[in-house]
Amino acid sequence: MRFTIFQESRIGNRTGNEDRVGYSYSREVLLMVVADGMGGHLEGEVAAELAVNEITRRFQQEARNRLRKPHEFLVSAINSGHHAIVSYAVQKNLLECPRTTCVACVVQGGSAYWAHAGDSRLYVLRNGALLAATSDHSRVQQMIETGAITVEAAARHPDRNKIFSCLGGVVPPQIAVSREFPLAIGDTIVLSTDGFWSQIPAALIGGMLRKQGVVEVFPGLLSEAQRRAAGESDNLSVVAMTWEAQDDPHVADTTNLDNEQFATSSNTEQLDMGEEADDVTEEDIERAIAEIQDAIRKVPR
Amino acid sequence: MPHQANQPLPAGYVLNGYRIEKPLSSGGFSIVYLASDESGTNFAIKEYLPASLPLRTDGIEIKLGIDADLSVFRHGLKCFFEEGRALAMITHPNVVRVENFFRANETCYMVMQYVRGRTLQFHIQRHRHEFTEAFIRRIFIHLMNGLREVHANKLLHLDIKPANIFIAMEGRPVLLDFGAARITLSEEALKLKPMYTAGFAAPEHYRFDPATLGPWSDIYSVGATIYTCIAGTPPQAGDAREQKDHIIPLRTLARQAYSDNLYDIVDACLSVDYLKRPQTAFDLQKLLMEEPPAEAKRPNFLETINKPFSKLFSR
Repeated sequence: MRFTIFQESRIGNRTGNEDRVGYSYSREVLLMVVADGMGGHLEGEVAAELAVNEITRRFQQEARNRLRKPHEFLVSAINSGHHAIVSYAVQKNLLECPRTTCVACVVQGGSAYWAHAGDSRLYVLRNGALLAATSDHSRVQQMIETGAITVEAAARHPDRNKIFSCLGGVVPPQIAVSREFPLAIGDTIVLSTDGFWSQIPAALIGGMLRKQGVVEVFPGLLSEAQRRAAGESDNLSVVAMTWEAQDDPHVADTTNLDNEQFATSSNTEQLDMGEEADDVTEEDIERAIAEIQDAIRKVPR
Repeated sequence: MPHQANQPLPAGYVLNGYRIEKPLSSGGFSIVYLASDESGTNFAIKEYLPASLPLRTDGIEIKLGIDADLSVFRHGLKCFFEEGRALAMITHPNVVRVENFFRANETCYMVMQYVRGRTLQFHIQRHRHEFTEAFIRRIFIHLMNGLREVHANKLLHLDIKPANIFIAMEGRPVLLDFGAARITLSEEALKLKPMYTAGFAAPEHYRFDPATLGPWSDIYSVGATIYTCIAGTPPQAGDAREQKDHIIPLRTLARQAYSDNLYDIVDACLSVDYLKRPQTAFDLQKLLMEEPPAEAKRPNFLETINKPFSKLFSR
């Protein structure tokens, strides 16, 4: 595979960064993930961190050069991210479970597959035009779809931050899954958090990308997003990938990687989660069975 | 419920002295078989086999592919042990009895008494219009005997619903499927994330806050089950009701006349505030045993209670 990738997460004007981004690829498959830990909820950055780490971990475990079923992988991995957050909350006895949005994309065999929960977005841009996008799991998006408000009104709506699907909530996330999307040379996939997409319309990204590549365009767009937020910028994050001509010798080719070797980059810090060994050993199994058989014998039948 | 991707054991297969006759049902975490021992006594054998993992595509042995699967498999196994522990402690005619528990084919098996009959869910789907007040009261009065025994053993069932209540041929209700049951005082058990069925789980169950779970949580599920017997569908999910309560009043959904007293009992069981529910199975049982008020048809009551259950639905 030959592609160009860019990723950056900025704190904006906030005191902490609750966004987490990451990508990982081997010879034939690429994963990109963005998670936006939810402010207002305890430990939002932990939720985002757990989601990105868990999805990346599952990816590296299961992408043995290829994922057998990319769609099923995405749903299952996002659900594991959810469970990792819930287990963390239970283990730490947190009053409220931390939450995060999540959008993840897999590229393999010349096609892209993606899934999301919440209002972190994915765009596919071709020749400067927006070809595909995720639909936010937000109240305002629902209102737009029912015709209650316009897109412009939604951007100013007081409830624009309310989402109805996330990882770490009391109910499992509602996960939207894309169809298989065959990529053409020059297509760019952009994953971003609301701190970025709320300030920078897709058309502006498309226009810029007609002239320059992702590595040149996005640093400037991130600064522009911050500037537009006028001192109130949320955390803002982008992972963007352009699918290159597969015989272009100027772009690195992942087939040079060793078999089952992964190149990974993320802004997760391996926060100290107090990882717990949750493994059931052979002895545990034997002991449990002995206890149960003992109990069956003791109780008069 | 995930589709069970795994092959059941073949008929005639001999498992630890039990001969497998046929699969009876398969669910998210197991397959239940009808089996018989050397003496010809029938048993229901539950095989732990998470439906989401492709473990047995052919043959008998379970094959675990990757590490992620192994950890999912073992976590579920813990829950299966909890169910075994829970049931092993109880001997009661209204609670399914576990007879044996063993390991084979790289998984575990629980041998249970085999009861002939159908689930309450089956009867709701087929015969709901024939559920008289007397029938409902009788089934749930008896079921409360079983639930009292469960609670007396410091257990919560936590997944009471029509599919988990079996009606034996002679009309005896039997509480099944303790897959969600938790020993209330065990720290370890409470670490396992409880599962729930939307519509039947109490609001506090969704938060899995161990401190507020109690016998009243099972009482909520019993209320939801009675509601389903009368309405045909479960009430609005407990977590949603906490946000905005849109529960449809049961009396507007009933297909035949039930007493106000019965509606009041169901309403009380389904209180979002757990303190307003009957607090124990015994409290609910007493309420159900109170004489139905005059407007309930008394001849009907006498007529049904004396009839064998199998005759109740024959036309």
